[in-house]
Amino acid sequence: MLAEDKNINVEEQIISYCKDNICSQDIKHPLYPSRLGAYELFRAHGLPTTRNEQWKYTNIAAKLEKIPSQSEIKPVPVNLDNFINNFEIVKKAKENKDSVLVFMDGAMQSQLSAVNSESKTISISSLKKDPIPDWAIKLNSKKHSQNVNELFNLNTALMEDGALINISDNGGIADTIYIIHVGNNDGFYNYRHMINVENGAHVNIIEFKISNKTNIEALYTSSIIWNISDNCVVNNVKYQAHNQITIGFNQQYADIENNTEFNSFTISSGSKLLREFRDINCNGSNSNISISGINLLDGDSHIDTMLSVKHKAPNTISREKYKSILNDNSKGVFQGNIIVDDIAQKTIAKQSIDALILSKTAEHDAKPELEIYADDVQCGHGATTGQISQESLFYLKSRGIPEEEAKRLLVNAFLTDALEEIKDKKILETFSDVMNSMLNRVSKGNLNV
Amino acid sequence: MFNVSNLTVAVEDNEILNNFSLEVGPGEVHAIMGPNGSGKSTLAHVCAGKEDYTVLNGEIILNGEDLLDFEADERSTKGLFLAFQYPIEIPGVTTLTFLKSSLEAHYKANNKEILSTPDFMKLVKKKAAELNIDDGMIKRPLNVGFSGGEKKRNEILQMALLDPQICILDETDSGLDIDALRLVAEGVNNLRSEKRSFIVITHYQRLLDYIKPDFVHIMYNGKIVETGDSSLALELEKSGYNNYTK
Repeated sequence: MLAEDKNINVEEQIISYCKDNICSQDIKHPLYPSRLGAYELFRAHGLPTTRNEQWKYTNIAAKLEKIPSQSEIKPVPVNLDNFINNFEIVKKAKENKDSVLVFMDGAMQSQLSAVNSESKTISISSLKKDPIPDWAIKLNSKKHSQNVNELFNLNTALMEDGALINISDNGGIADTIYIIHVGNNDGFYNYRHMINVENGAHVNIIEFKISNKTNIEALYTSSIIWNISDNCVVNNVKYQAHNQITIGFNQQYADIENNTEFNSFTISSGSKLLREFRDINCNGSNSNISISGINLLDGDSHIDTMLSVKHKAPNTISREKYKSILNDNSKGVFQGNIIVDDIAQKTIAKQSIDALILSKTAEHDAKPELEIYADDVQCGHGATTGQISQESLFYLKSRGIPEEEAKRLLVNAFLTDALEEIKDKKILETFSDVMNSMLNRVSKGNLNV
Repeated sequence: MFNVSNLTVAVEDNEILNNFSLEVGPGEVHAIMGPNGSGKSTLAHVCAGKEDYTVLNGEIILNGEDLLDFEADERSTKGLFLAFQYPIEIPGVTTLTFLKSSLEAHYKANNKEILSTPDFMKLVKKKAAELNIDDGMIKRPLNVGFSGGEKKRNEILQMALLDPQICILDETDSGLDIDALRLVAEGVNNLRSEKRSFIVITHYQRLLDYIKPDFVHIMYNGKIVETGDSSLALELEKSGYNNYTK
């Protein structure tokens, strides 16, 4: 069977799944119109194919044959709490009395979640809980009306749950919220978080997505929509380590107004196929943003990052710094697009994409693009792909450091300047244990450099 | 103690070392001089375990073991140290992290108890001070932005920490001004002992004014063609290699 034929089958299956889902929805629900509209758009356009320039290096049909089967009842396992609490990051969150929102297979688990009751500036709700706050309904409609892409439409049509977070001015003392997501059962999951950061608010949002077991076959779409007002400071770190059979389509949208700092960093590993779509709009002037990340790939993993940063106002700064480490038969794709509107004078935009290949069969495709319509800007991009330097490796070994450890040191060194984009060092520290075990795994294997 | 015998080494089809032999006793300092392309740096790299070379014949014995049977890291922990002509810059790895990993690998391989971090810091600071290396330098990324003198002093600091039995100095004097040369040579002289031996590869007699060799060898076409005492280096300075390369 040809890959494109398979696509039609899985596409039909997804359309039929959407139809059943739409039929089961309450037509009076405030999100129903956007669901219905998104379903119709998805039905008309289907899944993206490699004919679409943005999907040139990733063939969904080759990776996704069918929707994984799922059971109707998904009991929360008794040991899930222990599993989550074993992570250093969760322990620290609880010690600090930060808000922790736990999701299992796309659904919020209130009994495992804890909202910081002392904070008067956080308001947390969920998509499943009525009534949906007005700001969330508006934000959802606004994004839907922009008809961004097929997978966003799919996510709009199917979203079941998600966190709705509003942060108001907290006088510069950042609230920290952890969103933990555990994949626990086979199935198809769709969730959407929406975050509204009001004028002057500071917030750290830490997302932590993990598979509970190696044999869970999950397909998911997720989206996170940020609406960030003036004079805010937002630090967002997402860590996702899926098993090698999970397929995920993540979408991040952010609208950023004046004098705001937005640092968003993604650490990704694992997955049969992971698509990271990030669409960032600097609508206001004097904002400073960093949209960066590291991808650690091994086995047959495929991670495709599509990043679009639009400068729509004068005097904004953006940095996009991505580093990927690829081992075994993995494939990394990075397409980065910086668009500078004609009114966005004095824009400074820098993009760098670097890949370190540790095996003979890994592949990395990078396509950086600049579209500049203003004449007084500083914009640049660069992409490199290389291997571990044999000279450096010999130098370290000549001092007694065994090869595996020497490679670890060099891999860490390669990642250093990207990790510096995580501005809050305390956040970086909380990731050190999971990062180390991830790095240990990825830098091992058949390192026939 | 350290015995290289009948070593023949090629890169692709070119033989660089040709039946090379050299015996170094405990505490001895051997200088190897020779024109460009005679194989001096190849000898240093092959002894340290660089993989770009094919060893066709011979052995490199240290304390009864043939180092050719071991990887570069094992050769280091068994007591061989190569001071690089061009120490490698590694951005993202601090000098301190590198020194700690290196020292711990040595202690681990030799079943010695690993130093606590405060004890390690004390040791590094003491050895660094002896070489006029300040704290700022060891906190910087390894060799990145170091001057020529700082890089070579850093090599000697590593040598002092790792306590090797045979040290090969590959043109350690290259790129050094007179003061830096004196400082590096003093560092080496402080490490001289009855148990530790040195092979000093150099183009210039000047280094040997500071590090007095017991033997001077002239290397040409991949083997030693003449051996003498320090007066041989002085003679080379006057008349060049012509008498030995015909």
